[in-house]
Amino acid sequence: MEPAVNAAPKTRDPSWPARVFGGFVPVFRKEFIEIRRDPRLVVFIVAFPVVLLILFGYALRIQLDNVTMAVFDEDGQLPALLVKDRFHQEGYLIPVEVESLEDIRSWIDQGRARAGLHIPKDFSAKLVENEKPSLTLYIDGSLPTLALAIDNESGTIQQTDFKRTLYFSDPDEDAKEFAEDPFRLEVETLYNPDLIDVWFFLPAIIGLLIMQVGLILTSTAVVREREAGTLEQLIVTPVTRLGFVMGKVIPYALISFVDFNLVVGAGHLVFGVPVAGSDALLLFSALLYIPAIVSLGLLISTFAETQQQAIFLSVFILLPSVLLSGFIFPVEAIPVAIRPLSYLLPLTYFLEIIRGIMIKGIGFAELMIPFSALVVFTAVFTAVCVARFQKKLH
Amino acid sequence: MPSANTTRSWSCCRDASLRFVKSAVSTRRLTRRFAGRLVVDSLDLEVPSGQIFGFLGPNAAGKTTTIRMLAGILLPSDGEGSVLGFDLYREAESIKRQIGYVAQHFGLYDNLTAAENLEFYSRVYGAADPQKRNSLMDRYGFSSYRDVLAKNLSGGFRQRLSLICALTHAPKLLFLDEPTAGVDPGVRKELWDFFYQLAETGTTLFVTTHYMEEAERCDHLAFIHHGRLIADDTPEGIKKALTGRDVFRIGCRYEPEVVTRARRLEGVEMVNQFGNTLRLVIARKRYDEMALKQALGLGERPEVSIERDQPSLEDVFVTLTSEST
Repeated sequence: MEPAVNAAPKTRDPSWPARVFGGFVPVFRKEFIEIRRDPRLVVFIVAFPVVLLILFGYALRIQLDNVTMAVFDEDGQLPALLVKDRFHQEGYLIPVEVESLEDIRSWIDQGRARAGLHIPKDFSAKLVENEKPSLTLYIDGSLPTLALAIDNESGTIQQTDFKRTLYFSDPDEDAKEFAEDPFRLEVETLYNPDLIDVWFFLPAIIGLLIMQVGLILTSTAVVREREAGTLEQLIVTPVTRLGFVMGKVIPYALISFVDFNLVVGAGHLVFGVPVAGSDALLLFSALLYIPAIVSLGLLISTFAETQQQAIFLSVFILLPSVLLSGFIFPVEAIPVAIRPLSYLLPLTYFLEIIRGIMIKGIGFAELMIPFSALVVFTAVFTAVCVARFQKKLH
Repeated sequence: MPSANTTRSWSCCRDASLRFVKSAVSTRRLTRRFAGRLVVDSLDLEVPSGQIFGFLGPNAAGKTTTIRMLAGILLPSDGEGSVLGFDLYREAESIKRQIGYVAQHFGLYDNLTAAENLEFYSRVYGAADPQKRNSLMDRYGFSSYRDVLAKNLSGGFRQRLSLICALTHAPKLLFLDEPTAGVDPGVRKELWDFFYQLAETGTTLFVTTHYMEEAERCDHLAFIHHGRLIADDTPEGIKKALTGRDVFRIGCRYEPEVVTRARRLEGVEMVNQFGNTLRLVIARKRYDEMALKQALGLGERPEVSIERDQPSLEDVFVTLTSEST
């Protein structure tokens, strides 16, 4: 038993820095001790920015790489081959043969191709006769950055050296400098003909905002209970795990849904972004997207012990979502090594859905894959949550 | 107050119906390990219904772990037990419905008012009767505080609110884990008055505390140390543990050399200096007052008082914990 010591209290008048800044040093030091005692937060603070830096360093090298161009080649002669090859070699567009003009349209609708090329039947014949045949390049305007890049790259087939290749001179005349093009390239932008950026970005911002709200609210709400000690109190009550989780999560899902409607409405009112497709389908897509986000937020809460950790983890998912989901750069333009990460983000699929519905006006059938992806996300996140919650108790 | 049943015989408790009536808590060899470390070690507890049962022990003795097992939120590693007749392993959910649990830091929602907190917890227990809530609030002095946010309540009122939040479903057994830590003596007295009222209505109270005067007020005490039960009796019975020893009370300030000498005395079992009092427990008849004063090197100090005293609970607990370390 340690005896209690009666020390005489020191009653010296404190100096002015002590009166003003008293306690600063101990508090300052204590704060560092607390941070040190929170090794997870330290990992988040140190390691994650490095990871993100590396990730974005790659992602920001935007190139037209691996963008598919659906080609309907009715001609099939050497000049047509040369055109396709030129697009491929210099324009970085991968030509894929399709059977009809409708095919081009549907490939772009479904996002399987971002561009299309129609080479008419008599292209070679007219070329030989110097009759200036036309080529039509279709560009998916729902992604203006990509569309502009494609438009830019299409210039490659109009460069002098290529024109020379396709110029058939009249053997009876002297070779003249061709003042005119041997063929015409017509560019047709689908969906968003004026390439209005806000049309492109606004649906994506909606997706991102809903993600931010759902993710941070859900993850911190659960962790807050843990921090305040109310979670422990609730464990001794008849409140069940599921009752607790649903009770915590559904309010935020509802808030997210209201938010969704607000931002869609605001986008329409302020920016005039139309909903080309069905309003009901748009609401339906939110009903699939929000559970995926909220269950992801819940998953975060099973990893975070403090609200700080929860927010940090949320941002750690939000930032890559901005850069890798197709929010700014099309997924096709993201280097292959990083691209699998894009497909691990719910936002990637939701952007395809919301741009598809709002800009392209496409329907349920074309969006089956991203819709299914969202359902899979919700199922997987929920399953992992349940497993982790069970582990926590005993 | 019903008198304490000091025996911990198991033969009389085999019959389940009898056990249900007689014991609010009954455990046998209850054990909990964390990562191989024994935190609760083969605990045999018998808490008769309607009693105020004091559960004492130093910090980290395993008190809270025991309570968590009894409250059905932590599975025991070994042993068996029942609370209100429900098995700890199979009927934890039934236990939760029948008990109340007030921890030192009860989970009040800071941004909810007193009334909202009470409503929340009563709804959690499925008791939505607003009339009952109102009468609870009135009875416990919340008439004019019902709309105050929990974070703005004083420590005493927070503790009271915690208590009534745990009472809305009229639990038969109430676990109180240091319910009076950090509240002033006035509030402490009030809370204990509530506890007695509750016990009188037949509620069993399972209380942990570090205050010996609170322990004195319990019907029965169990004392654990390093997860083991080292005393289990009425307060009076526990003090009898020091039968055959002399207890001395010496009025002197703390002097390290005196304490060192005291520790070296022949037959000494406890040395406990607190403020201006040094208490010693020594085997009987080793020393009389004068001889002890000499042995402590205080013979030339007429101002130092020395007298025999009755053993206190604290004497017993300090002796027991120093023995078993």
